[in-house]
Order: sequence, then C-alpha cells, then structure tokens
Amino acid sequence: MATTVITGRDLAMTIDTKNYDEQATSATLSCDVTIETYDTLYSKAYKSIDSQWTFDVEMLADWGAANSLCEAMWSAAEVNPNTTIAVSLTAVTGAVFTFNVLPLFPSVGGSSPDAQTVSMSFTVVGTPTETFS
Amino acid sequence: MPASSILTSVRTPLKTAIQGVAANTYDSVPEAPIVPFAAVTPSVPYLQPTFLGKANVKLKVNLVISVGVAIYDNQSALDNWEKLVISILAAVPSGYEVGDVSNPIPLTIGASEILAGEIQLSTYYTQTN
Repeated sequence: MATTVITGRDLAMTIDTKNYDEQATSATLSCDVTIETYDTLYSKAYKSIDSQWTFDVEMLADWGAANSLCEAMWSAAEVNPNTTIAVSLTAVTGAVFTFNVLPLFPSVGGSSPDAQTVSMSFTVVGTPTETFS
Repeated sequence: MPASSILTSVRTPLKTAIQGVAANTYDSVPEAPIVPFAAVTPSVPYLQPTFLGKANVKLKVNLVISVGVAIYDNQSALDNWEKLVISILAAVPSGYEVGDVSNPIPLTIGASEILAGEIQLSTYYTQTN
C-alpha cells in the first residue's frame, strides 16, 4: 500500500456554518476515554466506561473583523452559554466529522511584539458523527 | 477584486510608512543605496504557510529592514543609526510583528563604507484572486 500523508493544509473547519480556515493555525478533535481496569482472580479485565470529546482550536485573534469568530464566541458565551454550536471538521476530502460544542469566552490580548492569538478548548456535547466516503 | 501581491500588499505599504523617517527607502534590494537608507528585504525563512486549508494561499511573511547610515565618525554613526532605528520602529504600521534588531556592522558598498544593521519584522498575507 502506498504511503498516505495528509497535513493541516487538508483540514477545513466551519463553526456555526462559517469557515474559519483563514484564521485558524491548528484544529484538533480528540477523545479522552476512561477505561477501568479490574484485577480479577483469573486475570486483568478492562471496561470502557466513559468518553469525553474536546475540540481544540488555535487561531490568530480576529476581533473587529467581519464574521469574527472571537466576537461570535464572546456573544454566544454571554447570551446563550448553554446553547450548542454546530461544528464541522474535514480531516481530508471524504472524512468529515460533525459535532456540537458549547461556547467559550476567548482570551483577549497577547505579548507586545507578537500577533495576538487565541487558544480555545471546546467541550463537545455528545459524540461526533463521522462521514467516510 | 484585482489579484494581490506581496509587493503591493506588504512591502510597499511598509516602505511608504517608513518614508517619513528615512531619507531613502527601498522595497527591494537596492543596487547602490544612498545613505541614510532603509530597505525592506526578505528574511529567512521568507514565506511560511501557517493556516489550515488550501483553498487560498495564506502565508506568514518574514522581512528585514536593512538600515544604513554614513560612517564618517564611529560615535556619531552609531548614534545616527540608533536614532534612525528607533524612529523606524515607531513608524512601523499596525499588523506587523516587530522582532529583534541586529548589531550594526561596517559594510563597504562600492567605494563608500556604511554602518548597517537589520530590524526583523513579520506579517500575515492572504492571496486574493
């Protein structure tokens, strides 16, 4: 089988149906699975009991821009903190993950000589839906 | 919308912004700069793709402003160079990250000797059309 390489340039991301590729420098969907281990008299036994998904985004701050993600997140976290926002993450053409996240207040500011950046770690509500084609 | 370029979107606006403080400004490598001067030139690495996706070309552009003054007298040359660098730093427009400033060193260009150093800068560029 030929080696397959996909990179961050293959990613595409929409939050609340708006595309934010041009601001985002990193986007990662990951799952923390809790697995209990039981020492039985016979041997060890394992049981997956829980999973929690998170969506981590790093981006250049876009305060003041049209369709600003920072401003949209701030408003959503302020007005509707318990209303989920739809997210679509395309790993590469043919592998799309859709899920819902709760809004967060983005951080504001940065160090003096550098670009202002924002890191957001969204809690995913439920489990992502995958579409492989 | 006309196609953008790094020259018109990044280097020329920077050159225009520092024109008020440096007597001679260039947005590319000059063949024979006339002192005092500031020249906006590429740094290493020059262009860095840093964003997600490949629908559009989006880059971090790393630049240096080479700053040179006449070197008739060591003490006044360094003082002139420092004053010119500080005035350029004040004139750099928003949207450009200001980095470190190198030490000035004597250079011989043609028949004349100058005192020259570099200001590191970077900004972000999106290709349109």
